Amino acid sequence: MIRVIFFGPVADCVQSREMQLDYVVGMTLHDVIAQLGAQHPNAFGIVSFIAVNQNQVRDKQMVLQDNDEIAFMAKFSGG
Amino acid sequence: MNAPVRIQQADFSQDEEIRALRSSSKRMGGIATFLGCARDFSEGRNVSEISFDAYGSMALAEMNKLRNEAIEKFGLLDARIVHRLGTVQCGENIVFIAAGAQHRAPALQACHWLIDELKQRVPIWKKETTPQGETWVTSHP
Repeated sequence: MIRVIFFGPVADCVQSREMQLDYVVGMTLHDVIAQLGAQHPNAFGIVSFIAVNQNQVRDKQMVLQDNDEIAFMAKFSGG
Repeated sequence: MNAPVRIQQADFSQDEEIRALRSSSKRMGGIATFLGCARDFSEGRNVSEISFDAYGSMALAEMNKLRNEAIEKFGLLDARIVHRLGTVQCGENIVFIAAGAQHRAPALQACHWLIDELKQRVPIWKKETTPQGETWVTSHP
């Protein structure tokens, strides 16, 4: 299972803070982006950062592992 | 004593944070602080309150990394970072940073560097409540 989490403006666009996807051996971050991006284009339009297991990731070809946690995040605005 | 890096709903005391910082070393000759507050006006609109959301575990890990990097980069004796989450009313505290060093220059530079880096690297988002509705803030000037 892949746990996908959203916060702030992205969570508002998706109207959810968390969802789970079935894990398929060999699936990549790009596969998840393609699937969820098609379902939530507005949300993915404001995604600026992606983290896998709390580490920022830029390589969308990254192969995922079962039980990975992916966060799709808008530009930060703390402080 | 509270941890030097925290995310919390409750307000914080600057005096307590500075006292904790000072207790870490008697060699501290300069302490620089930054206090971020909730403004009642933004982008031409009145703001009544600000709500904060965060990727809590990652935000805390990143803030700890920032503190460690600042201590190393500027030769600090200690540093503290506290950020509030949840709803903050206008005029209330949002974030507090304190950097202590042997001399003023590294303390001031580190404090400036820490708030700039926090805004760019820590996964926290703010939403302003205005008479026109709620708006997520996307810039960090």
